[in-house]
This record gives sequence, C-alpha cells and structure tokens, in this order.
Amino acid sequence: MSLQPPVYYIKSEYIETDTGNKVSRRATIAGPQNIILGGKTIISSGAIIRGDLRRTGPGHAVVISLGRYCLIGENCVVRPPYKTYRGTFNYYPMKVGDHVHIGAGSIVEAATIGSHRELIGDIYQSKFTIIKDCAKIADNTVLMPNSVVPALAHFAGAPGQFVEDLPESTQEMVEAETKSFYNRFQPLES
Amino acid sequence: MPPIKDKYTIHSKAVVCQDVELKGDITIGAGTVVHPKASIFAIAGPIIIGSNNIIEENAVIVNRRREPMRIGDENLIEIGARVECPVIGDHNTISTKARVHHTVRLGSYCVIGVRCLVALPEDEMIEDYTVFYGPEAERRTWSGRGKVQEADLRKKHIEYLKETLPKFNRQRKGDVS
Repeated sequence: MSLQPPVYYIKSEYIETDTGNKVSRRATIAGPQNIILGGKTIISSGAIIRGDLRRTGPGHAVVISLGRYCLIGENCVVRPPYKTYRGTFNYYPMKVGDHVHIGAGSIVEAATIGSHRELIGDIYQSKFTIIKDCAKIADNTVLMPNSVVPALAHFAGAPGQFVEDLPESTQEMVEAETKSFYNRFQPLES
Repeated sequence: MPPIKDKYTIHSKAVVCQDVELKGDITIGAGTVVHPKASIFAIAGPIIIGSNNIIEENAVIVNRRREPMRIGDENLIEIGARVECPVIGDHNTISTKARVHHTVRLGSYCVIGVRCLVALPEDEMIEDYTVFYGPEAERRTWSGRGKVQEADLRKKHIEYLKETLPKFNRQRKGDVS
C-alpha cells in the first residue's frame, strides 16, 4: 500500500496492548490510571505524560485522553494546563482527537486538540490553547496561552501566527498518513 | 578534577521525586517541588535552592563555578529550561525551554520568556522586574502589575503539588534525616 520503508523498533523496547497501543518502556508515564489511549497509538521513548496532575475532587478523573492513531514523538512532554478558577487552583483535563501526530521534542499544555492534526517537531503549546480539526503547526512554533488555532489553518513562528489555509483534502491525507505510519511501525526481533 | 562527592540535603517538607537526577552537593529548602525527570548538577560548587520553588520536568540546573549557586524563594523553572546562573533572587519565572548562561545573575521578579537564550558576554546583575522576551531575547521592565495575583497563583500551585505529587510519585529523601 505504502511505498515508504518501514520504521523498525526493537520489540523488547515497546509494550503492545490489546488495542494496538505501542508504548515505549523508556517513556515516563505518571498516573497511568488517569490516562486513556484510544488504540493504535504510539508513545515513543523519552516522552513524558503527566496523568498525575489531576483535577482535585471526589471520584475518578480523566486527565489526558488520546484518540486513535496518535503518535507522541521522542522527548515530548504532554501535561494538562492549570489555572485558578473562583479562587481554587486546579489542573484541567486535556483532550486529544484521532490521527494526531506530535513531533519530537514538543511540549503540549493545550486544553483541546481536534482530530486529524499534524504537529511537526519541537513546538511549544502554552496553557489552554485550543486547536481545531485538520490544523497544522510548523516546527519551532510557540503558541501563546489561551490562543485558538482554527480548522484547516497552518500556523508557524514565535509567537505562532497564521500562514496559509490548508486544502480541504487534509482530513483524508492526514488520516492516510497516520494509518500508514502505524502500519509501517514494525517490530524487529533481536 | 577530583570526583564529585554527592551530598544531598533535602528539607523534610520538600517534594523531590524519585526520578530526579542529582549530582554533587545539593541543598533543597522547605516546600520546594521538583518534578520527575529534572536534573540538578553541582559540578564544581554546591547548589543551594531556597523554599517554595517549582522545578518542572526536563529542567536542568548546573553549577560550573566554584562558588555556591544560590536560588532564592518562590521561583518557577518550567519544562526543559536550562539554568546556569550563579545567583537567582526570588519570584522569578524561567519559562519553557529558556536557557540562561553562567554570566547572568538574576534579581527578583524577573521573567525569561519561552525559548529565550540569555547569554551575556560579561557578568551582569539583572535588575529586578526585567523581562526577556522574543527570539532575540530583548528586554524591558515590568511595571509589577498583577504581582500579587501571580504570587497567589504560585502559592496555590505549590500547595496543590505538595498534596498531589506524593500520591503518584515516589519521593526522594536526603542523606541526613
């Protein structure tokens, strides 16, 4: 199907779950009971996911939910945003849609990320940014706190600014790309 | 160079996660929170960290000088920041992925913006309320508006972390208890 060569990983380094998630043993996952993975998600080595920074209050709290076919690159930090609301300090849950690729070295503190999104390498997303579906954020972008990235937009720069509109076919393109990446991500026995 | 002797003095009320890399002579004061995967290296001289600081993931604090490095109280060092300055006052914010060289001495209430590289050719004491921003690390002075709110937020943040972090992360204790 795809003409690109497979990306190999050492089998013993990754844990594969029933739903097809591949999680590196070298990733730091704090508070795993508060994290939901949608399935077929890859978490690369060196990534840090903070599920321990949960909303205070009784009962079970979901801190980070990731959709299907997501990729969290090497050395990424994914942590929920915080603020004080009516005088009480809290961390707020973070939601990531399906088919989202987060490039290596990115730091994500966004409130919501839509589906079919492409983030390429080394980005910093400040607290409470909202990113809509099918947006693309270039390398070395810094998004300001509380900013909103609209659907089908390409953002770049520090501070992140609108560059151009993306074609309407982006949804299918990104979907195909994320699926093919997952299929190409193959174990290597050694 | 003689081998680095490890000596950690961690206050009983500080929260230092197990996953933190420490090296050399380090003192951590009361109420300071160090997130997992942070690194503190006292290569030449010791590092003395005051009370109620927050040091986030992947932050690196290095002391290459012989003299002790002093970090004051209620500072926030965010994700992936690299700090080598010998003196840091109180209530400073060093934002995500910022880098501060060993020639810089920070006063109080300073802010170093996201991804700023502060590298001065000569030793300089940065005055209080200085803000570094943008890709060229330009500077200007903060009026001090919203200072109380900021301090309040920081205080609540510390309180929250002190309560929550020990529930999910194993803690590290000093040599002497």
